[in-house]
Amino acid sequence: MSFFDGREVLAALIVVVATLFVVTVVFSMYAVGLRLRHQARDRRRDAFAEKWREPTLGALAAPESIASFTAAIRDDERIHFVGFAVQYARRLRGDGRDTIRALAKPYLGVIARRADSSNVEIRARAIQTLGLLGLPEHAPRVMAALDDRSPLVAMVAARALSQEESPEYAAAVLGRLGRFEGWNRRFLASMLAAMGPKVASTLREGLRNAGAQPRARAVLAEALLLQGDPLAGDVAAEVLDTASDRDLQITALRLLASVGRPDHAATVRRHTDAADEVVRAQALRALGAVGSESDVRGLIEAMSDPSPWVALSAARAVLDAGGRSALAEIGSSDRATAAIARQVLSEERVAA
Amino acid sequence: MNEGFWRAIEIFNYVVLGYFILLNAVYLGTSVFAFGALKRYALRLKSLDLTDLITSGGAPPISLIAPAYNEALTCVESVRSLLTIEYPEFEVIVVNDGSKDETVAVLRDAFQLEPANRIPTAYLKSAKVRQVYRSRSHPSLWLVDKENGGKADALNAGVNYCYTPIFCAMDADSLLEPEALIRIVRPFLEDATTIASGGVLRIANGCKVERGRVVEVGLPRSLLARFQVLEYLRVFLAGRMGWAAIDASLIISGAFGLFSRTAVVNAGGYATDTVGEDMELVVRLHRYHAENGIPYKIQFVPDPVAWTECPESLAVLARQRDRWQRGLFQTLTRHKRMLLRPTYKAAGMVAFPYFFFLEMLGPAIELLGYLSFAVTIVAGRADWYFVGAFLAVAVVLGGALSLAAVALEELSFHRYPRLVDLLQLFSLAALENLGYRQLNTWWRVKGTISALRGVEGWGKMTRKGFS
Repeated sequence: MSFFDGREVLAALIVVVATLFVVTVVFSMYAVGLRLRHQARDRRRDAFAEKWREPTLGALAAPESIASFTAAIRDDERIHFVGFAVQYARRLRGDGRDTIRALAKPYLGVIARRADSSNVEIRARAIQTLGLLGLPEHAPRVMAALDDRSPLVAMVAARALSQEESPEYAAAVLGRLGRFEGWNRRFLASMLAAMGPKVASTLREGLRNAGAQPRARAVLAEALLLQGDPLAGDVAAEVLDTASDRDLQITALRLLASVGRPDHAATVRRHTDAADEVVRAQALRALGAVGSESDVRGLIEAMSDPSPWVALSAARAVLDAGGRSALAEIGSSDRATAAIARQVLSEERVAA
Repeated sequence: MNEGFWRAIEIFNYVVLGYFILLNAVYLGTSVFAFGALKRYALRLKSLDLTDLITSGGAPPISLIAPAYNEALTCVESVRSLLTIEYPEFEVIVVNDGSKDETVAVLRDAFQLEPANRIPTAYLKSAKVRQVYRSRSHPSLWLVDKENGGKADALNAGVNYCYTPIFCAMDADSLLEPEALIRIVRPFLEDATTIASGGVLRIANGCKVERGRVVEVGLPRSLLARFQVLEYLRVFLAGRMGWAAIDASLIISGAFGLFSRTAVVNAGGYATDTVGEDMELVVRLHRYHAENGIPYKIQFVPDPVAWTECPESLAVLARQRDRWQRGLFQTLTRHKRMLLRPTYKAAGMVAFPYFFFLEMLGPAIELLGYLSFAVTIVAGRADWYFVGAFLAVAVVLGGALSLAAVALEELSFHRYPRLVDLLQLFSLAALENLGYRQLNTWWRVKGTISALRGVEGWGKMTRKGFS
C-alpha cells in the first residue's frame, strides 16, 4: 500500500472535514450571533438611558419625585435600571449618590440573589453593586463576602466597604487584611486610606500590633502615609525600633520622612548604614526630613554611596535638611557627586 | 526510483501529518483555554471599576520607554499621543538611538527640550549616552540621546534612566489607547508577584487616526494587511491569551509590554545580540526567577491595545517575518536548557517544546511536507480522493481556527463595529490558507536559514505612516 490510498483513512478524513466544516459554521454563527446580541444590547441600553436620563436628573434635583419615577419602572426593566443606576452612582458622592441609592433600592433583591451565584465573576459584580447602591441595608451580605472563597469577591467587598462616609466597616476590612496578601501593597493602602481620617487611630493600632503580619502592618503604614496622619510618626519610630521585616522598615521610614519629628532622628540614624540599599535610601531621606543641619555632613558623604538610589536619596535629603548652599557648591564643583547635586537642584526648580 | 526512497517519502509524509495534527491540536487547545479565560476576563472587568484605579492613588507610577530611530516625521505626533494617556503618574522617556535624521531637533523644538541632569540608576549594557533632555513644557517628558546601538540597546538605556518601579516598553510609532496603561497595569495590582504583563497589538492600517489616536476602526484596503489583521487576532486573542491561561507566556510584544524594572535589571536587561529581544527577555525572566526560586507571574491582558502599522508590501513583510523567525531561533537555542525541564513548570514543559518543535522547526517540516506531497502526487503514488480530503482538512481546519479567533474577538471586545468587517474577516479565514500561509512558511524557513548563517540586523522596514 502506498501513501494516501488507505480507504479507512480516507473515510476518516472525510468525517474530519465534515466535522470541521460544521465547527466552522458554528463558529461563524456564534460570532454573528454575538454581534447581533451585542448590537441589540447596546440599542436597548441606549434606549433605557434615553428614557431614564431626564427622570433621574429630576430626582437628583427633587428627591421627592423618586416614588413616581420608580413606580414607572416595569418588572422586566429592573435589572437594567440597576445597571443604569450604577453608572450614575459611580460618578456621584454624598446626597447625589444617596438619591441614586434610593432609586435603585427597590430592585436590589435580584442582585442580592446573584451574590450567591456559583460563578465568581457574577458574584463579584453583584457584591460590587450592593456595595455601591445597597448599603447599609445589604451590609451584612457585603461583609460576609469578605470571607468569600474567591479573593476577587473578597477584594470587591473590601473596596465597597472602604468608604469615608461609612467608617463603621473599617474594622471588618482591617481584620481581613491577611486575605489580600497577594495584592499590590500600594493598591491596598489606597483602599484603606479612602476610609478617611476617622479610621486613622485604628490604622495606627494595627501598625503598632507586633503580633500582626509584617506585610499587613506595612500596608497600614502606607495607608497612614497616604492620609498624612500627623500622629503616626511615633508609631512609625516605635516600629522601626522593634521590627526586622524589610518592607515594614521601609514603609515606616517613608512614614517618618512624611510625618516624623526631630525627636525621631536618632531612631532614623540607626538605619542609615543598613545593608539593604532601599532601607538605607529611605533612612537617609527620612533623616533629611527629621534631622538637623548637623546631619548635612553625613548626608553629603552618603552621596558617594555606590548605589545610585542611595546617592540620590542622600542628595535630596541634603536639600531637605537645609543644605541647599552646600549642594549648590558641590554642583558647581568637579566632584564625582556634582551631577547628582545638579539633578536634585534642578528637580527643586521644576517642582517650584 | 527505488522502493527505499518511496518508503522514506511515505514515512516523512506521516511525520508531516503528525506535525500537522499536533500543531493544530495546540492551536485548538489554546483557543479553548482562551475562550474560558476571555469570558472570565470580560466579566471580571465589570467587577473592579477602572476609574477606581485612576482616582484612588493606588496605581504605581510607570515610565513609558519609547526607542526612536529616524522617526523625525512621526515622533512629535507619537509623543503628543503618549503625553495624553490617562494614567495618574507616568513619565515618557524617548530614547533617540543615534538617529541620522532630525529626530532630536524636531523633538527639542516641539517640546522645548533642554539639557538636564539625570543620573542613571542601573548600568545595563548600552551605547554611550550623549545627553539627557527634559521638556520645559511637559516636565514628565525626557529624551535620552545616545549613540546607535539597536532597539534592545536603546531600551536598556531607557531602563537605566527609569526611576519608576514599572516601565512600559513600546515602539515610538505605536499608538497606545488612552486607557491602555490603566488596563495593562491591572495584573501588577492584583498579584504582587507579577513581573511582566503584555497587551494586545492591533493593526492600524485602515483605521482613522487623529492626533495620535485611533478614532475609527476599520479593515485595511490591502489584502496583505487584512490577512495580518486576522493573524494578529489569532496570535493575541487565541494564542497569547491561551498560553497566559496556563502560566506559560513566552512572548510579550516589544511594541507594548509592562515590566517590573527591578526584575528586568536583575535579569540583566535586554540582550543586544539578538533581533528577538522581546521574546528573549521574557524567556530569560522565566529562567532567572525559576532558577533562583523567586515567585513570579508573567501575564497577558487582552484589552489594553496598542495600534501599529503593518507592512503592506511583500518585500517588507518578508523581512519582518524573517526577523521574527531569527529572533525565535536565537532565543530558543540560547535557552534550550529550558526544554522539558520541570524547574520551569508550564513554560519549560509545554510552551517551550511547542515553540521549539512546532514554531521553530515546524516551518521547515511544513515546507518539506509540501515538496514530498507534490512528489508523491506527481509520481502517481497518491489517491486523488485522499489528496483532496487532506487538503480540505487543512483548509477547513485553518479556517476554523481563524474563525475561532474572530469569535473570540466578538466574545470579548468586538472592536470592528461594522458587520461587513466581520463578514470580511470570515472570508479571509478561508482565503489565507490558499497562499498567504504558504508564503509565511517560506519566509520563516528563510528566517531559520538566516539564523543558522548568523545573519544579523533588522532589515530595512519602511512605513507609510498613519492616515
